[in-house]
Amino acid sequence: MLESLFAFVNKIDVASSVWVSSSMGMMLGGWLAAGLTIFMFSFLYKDNPFFKIAEHLYLGAGMGWLFQVSFFSVWMPKIWEPIKSGEDYLVLIPALLGLSLIAQFVPKISWVSRYGFTFVMGYGAGLSIPAELSTNFLAQISGTIVPLFSLGEPCLTGAALWGAFNSFLIFFGLICVLFYFFFSLEHKGAVKKVSNIGIYFLMLYFGAVFGNTVMGRFSLLYGRFDDLYKYSGSNYSYASIIIFFALVTFFVGSHFVDKKKKLKAK
Amino acid sequence: MLRKYTEKFLKMDRRLIFALLTILMFIPLIKPLGLPNKAVGVSCQQVYDFIENLKPGGFILISLDYDPSTRPELHPQAKAVIRHAFRKDLRVAVMTFLPGSTGLIEEIFATVPKEYNKKEEIDYVVLPYQAGFVAVMTQLGSDMYSIYDKDKNGNPTKKMPVMKGITNYDDMSAVMCITGTALLDQWVLYAGDKFHVPMLGGVTAVSQPGYGPYLQKGQLKGLIGGMKGAADYEGLIGKLGKGTTGIDVLNLGHLLVLFLIITSNIILFFMKRF
Amino acid sequence: MKLIKRTIPLAMVFIIGITMFLSYYIPHEASQTHYVERMNEWYNIIVAFAFLLGLLSLFFTHYGKIKKKVDGWGYSIFVFIGFLAMVIPAFVSGGDLMIGANLTVLGWAYKSIFNTLQATMFSVLAFYIVSTAFRSFRIKSPQAFILFVAAALLILGKVPVGDLIWTTLLGWTGIEISGIVEWIMSVPAVAARRGILIGVSIGAIIISMKIIFGIERQYMGRD
Repeated sequence: MLESLFAFVNKIDVASSVWVSSSMGMMLGGWLAAGLTIFMFSFLYKDNPFFKIAEHLYLGAGMGWLFQVSFFSVWMPKIWEPIKSGEDYLVLIPALLGLSLIAQFVPKISWVSRYGFTFVMGYGAGLSIPAELSTNFLAQISGTIVPLFSLGEPCLTGAALWGAFNSFLIFFGLICVLFYFFFSLEHKGAVKKVSNIGIYFLMLYFGAVFGNTVMGRFSLLYGRFDDLYKYSGSNYSYASIIIFFALVTFFVGSHFVDKKKKLKAK
Repeated sequence: MLRKYTEKFLKMDRRLIFALLTILMFIPLIKPLGLPNKAVGVSCQQVYDFIENLKPGGFILISLDYDPSTRPELHPQAKAVIRHAFRKDLRVAVMTFLPGSTGLIEEIFATVPKEYNKKEEIDYVVLPYQAGFVAVMTQLGSDMYSIYDKDKNGNPTKKMPVMKGITNYDDMSAVMCITGTALLDQWVLYAGDKFHVPMLGGVTAVSQPGYGPYLQKGQLKGLIGGMKGAADYEGLIGKLGKGTTGIDVLNLGHLLVLFLIITSNIILFFMKRF
Repeated sequence: MKLIKRTIPLAMVFIIGITMFLSYYIPHEASQTHYVERMNEWYNIIVAFAFLLGLLSLFFTHYGKIKKKVDGWGYSIFVFIGFLAMVIPAFVSGGDLMIGANLTVLGWAYKSIFNTLQATMFSVLAFYIVSTAFRSFRIKSPQAFILFVAAALLILGKVPVGDLIWTTLLGWTGIEISGIVEWIMSVPAVAARRGILIGVSIGAIIISMKIIFGIERQYMGRD
């Protein structure tokens, strides 16, 4: 019974795979992708039902994807198969601890979820202390206190002096930034001056972050525009162009309908 | 009169700015400007040099932790690095901690290995998604097969030719993480520093400035940053792709941002004084 | 009951926390292979269930909206449609995205729906960063000016046209914009970021200790 069901599903899999990979399937995919992209972008004009549909689809699809990946990559190979083969029954313990998290939704037994949470928190906290200490604390201090010149190399060359200046600047900048973040001392007098210099270093960093953010965000937009451009071709039956103008027509139409309604109401 | 117009200009409908940006991005998409991407970033060059200096047969573990939300920046980076590794005859293992990236990984390995005549299980292996990154990073330091006993197709990994002689970080030439999340920090924290495996990174432009301290200290051996980094790397390996076309499209958009910041501030400056 | 509800969980977090902490400094087989390896495997499995919290919360919210027929309840149906649009193809294709060179129906759904929606959702931010740059980026102080200079140099220095403009206008100085960008990223930005890193690491260590010793218990919820 189960075997014939699997065989049937397998047949559907193969048949559907052939269809979606055909030119018709790819074109339909292109129309769907172009439509959803334009629906999402339509929010830039104003909130509308098409955007809301796309937004809600995204929520569901995101969760669906997460569910299927967890199911096929973790639950099946890491829990079900070891139990089925009798290889390792101990995996039941973390599986139950994982399931205990769901108890959060039942107020009467929500305390059960503490078992899952405490494992996760204890594990993470225990590992992070030494790692943070060595990587983000001690290593950063040792990375700051470095020799200004290298032994055995001439130190009065332009490059050596420039390197020494930069090393000193990192050291000086770090001290100033740390002063800025140090709130146990009142920021006045010399402390204020030093912490003010720290602000300039922070501003240079945030400026760099802002500049890079512009590039990052535009890159993402380029990705979508590139796809829309692709779907506007004849092999996708001009999907992007047709959907775009259909949406524009909708907005123009709804604008006039709204205007009429307002006039009637007056 | 002029004041009225400038005030109007400052309060203009933001949808006009949106439209302007759309036009400025579409123009080079339809007709590329074709400006050469000349200056290669230092940290990007470091990644290239590091991989270039590895011996053929070396093993590189690549963690591709990005999903469609950062695809335009990181997908070209990943493709370029994997192409470079294949060209250098390195053995490649790919893994991920992000569910959304599994589809993108399949996309890469459906085409790129064929360009270099590389075979799954012999020259490369794609490992399945795992959720607990700290656990996996720590475990790879002792015996990676207790987590990755099977590849994404469910085949046992231990006996694959690509995994010959590989048990943990000690046997790997390098680990690279290409990510749009903070996972590269975690790789440095739980793998690079603890097990002394050379770490390389590929990140979005947004997070690139944050990795300066790791680069300066040598905790990262190199870093590819954003679309610019992707374009740089494509140029270095001599196979241009979406990174190079992407950086060309960004040209006018970047100028628009700068123009808007400067004009709005100049207008405000004069409005205050006159 | 207090023992099961509070004491044992707190003891668990303490024992697991302390043993994981110590394992970092004990490179013995019993610690690294037998204990840490088992903990790693378990943690990996537990975390794979964590997203169920989000999933169920999303389902309860939207099911409630549909049931009560609140304003816009029709949109909530699309949450379930989106979910099924991924899960049904996944079970048909056994989680595979490709069969040979062909996409499976899951691969098709990933490419056309999930990939599209997620990528577009994040790309919309590009429009807002431009509008914010125009409306809110105000150079009112020396600090803001420094921020602007760094941002402008990065914005210009990262694209070929910026390089071209710089070379045309300031090429005579012999300084390249890419050199300035590299310097900002590798010297002042390192100092600032390092300050932030050190601060954050101290915070993370303190929070971790508070969790291990049961001082921080917000994650346990109320009794």
